[in-house]
Amino acid sequence: MNIIEAKNISFAYRVLNKHHTSLKTLFRDFLHGRVSIEDYVAIKDLSFEIKKGETVAIIGKNGAGKSTLLKILARVIEPTTGSISITGQVAPMIELGAGFNDELTGRENILFYSSLLDRDISKVKPRIDEIITWAGIADHLDYQLRTYSTGMVARLAFSVATDEIPDILLIDEVLSVGDGEFATKSRQRLLEIINSGCTVIMVSHDLATVAQIAQKVIWIEKGQIKMVGLPTGVIAAYQASGS
Amino acid sequence: MRAKKVSLNSLTGFSKNNLQLLRLLIQQELTLRYKRSVIGIGWTLLNPMLTSFVLWIVFSFLFVGKLEAGQQFAPYLMAGILLNTFFSQGLLQAANSIAANGGVLTKVSVPPRIFAFAASLAAFINFLIGLIPLAAVVYLSGQTLTIAFPLIFVIGLFMAFFTAGIGLALSVIFIRFEDAKNIINVLLLILIYLTPIFYPIGILNDRMQQIVSFNPLTSFLDAFRWAFSDNATATWRDFLYLALVSIATFAIGNRFFKRRWPKTIAML
Repeated sequence: MNIIEAKNISFAYRVLNKHHTSLKTLFRDFLHGRVSIEDYVAIKDLSFEIKKGETVAIIGKNGAGKSTLLKILARVIEPTTGSISITGQVAPMIELGAGFNDELTGRENILFYSSLLDRDISKVKPRIDEIITWAGIADHLDYQLRTYSTGMVARLAFSVATDEIPDILLIDEVLSVGDGEFATKSRQRLLEIINSGCTVIMVSHDLATVAQIAQKVIWIEKGQIKMVGLPTGVIAAYQASGS
Repeated sequence: MRAKKVSLNSLTGFSKNNLQLLRLLIQQELTLRYKRSVIGIGWTLLNPMLTSFVLWIVFSFLFVGKLEAGQQFAPYLMAGILLNTFFSQGLLQAANSIAANGGVLTKVSVPPRIFAFAASLAAFINFLIGLIPLAAVVYLSGQTLTIAFPLIFVIGLFMAFFTAGIGLALSVIFIRFEDAKNIINVLLLILIYLTPIFYPIGILNDRMQQIVSFNPLTSFLDAFRWAFSDNATATWRDFLYLALVSIATFAIGNRFFKRRWPKTIAML
């Protein structure tokens, strides 16, 4: 069963030729006749399918369109043309802790972050103890987040994000957080989720990890699919292309 | 056949979890602003009183005798400041909320409009809290509250729609052009003078009165002052005007936002 089906999706729009950051420069250039319209294409005509339970890695150089594709998969943006169908709940593990607020306590942040991830907070409340114990910050639950160390914030974010196993998990480079013991622990937890039958889509530059856990690799270049297939073949071709 | 169920969810297009998020955001907006100050949320009460007091000292010399019979300058002035604070705060915070939460919006699939709505509704609640000191000033000036008092909630709700609509449209413009904020600040300043906030409309000549009456904020203000303690005259025309303007603004703001959002988010 295909859990994600993308048919000829593109993300493109018309922009002014120069990126005017102020109305003043736009007005000045307009008076001088230096304003024209161009097409900006982030991804073009991508078609692919992802099966339920599959672990898929997306590779490609910076600026190839990986993050635009990830945004489409996270349902943050819609493709400008083409169609994509996504069945089930998507949990993005992209920049963990975006949405945390320094002035709120750990407890308030857990609830707020869960709410941002589209979870029912009445179901999260009974899980708070487990979340903070796993993150190892039990003593700090009712202190403001600004009293936390960077490591504590990362641990808390990871713990909240992985507390519920979604249908589809999007991972952007974050396979583990923290240092030493916690890095091992978090990597292990993520591997457990990956092996639990959850569909995983990851964007990574770490080709060794990709080869190890992905079942399929999609290589994107200049907004278009260059190659799709088994990790060994695609990675070998990618490396041979001089990247 | 069963009638189709109309719920808040189906009306706004927000899921139950989205509404929960809206509630949390409003809570944050109300409590966080004054979190580090000693008197905390007390500032919400104190702020309009202090501003009004300063302006009252300055303008009472000029305008006290200029109001119509039975009207009092202190509650007149304070009502104006309260509603203007609601307007500019709701509008600017709704406009800034999208950029401020850009980090979240590019990663998590949340309807961005929630952040703007939360800002407008928080400004509404601040306004309602501000009615307490206003009521005190009304009684101190020897006036009483009118029976039309509950209409304030309707007026406030329309104002929330009005600010959310403008805020949404501005939010994408603010992200696109960094100097747009300065231009809006100047326009807001002009608007303050085109609204009878601290002066009685009667001091203007006929031509200026016409311009000022055309400003929807004037209708909002007249309706509010009339409903609260009879410090202005408002007719059904004012109510119709403010209702139509705020609903139209809300609809246009939402539409504009929806069209521009895909381009805007690529920039965040």
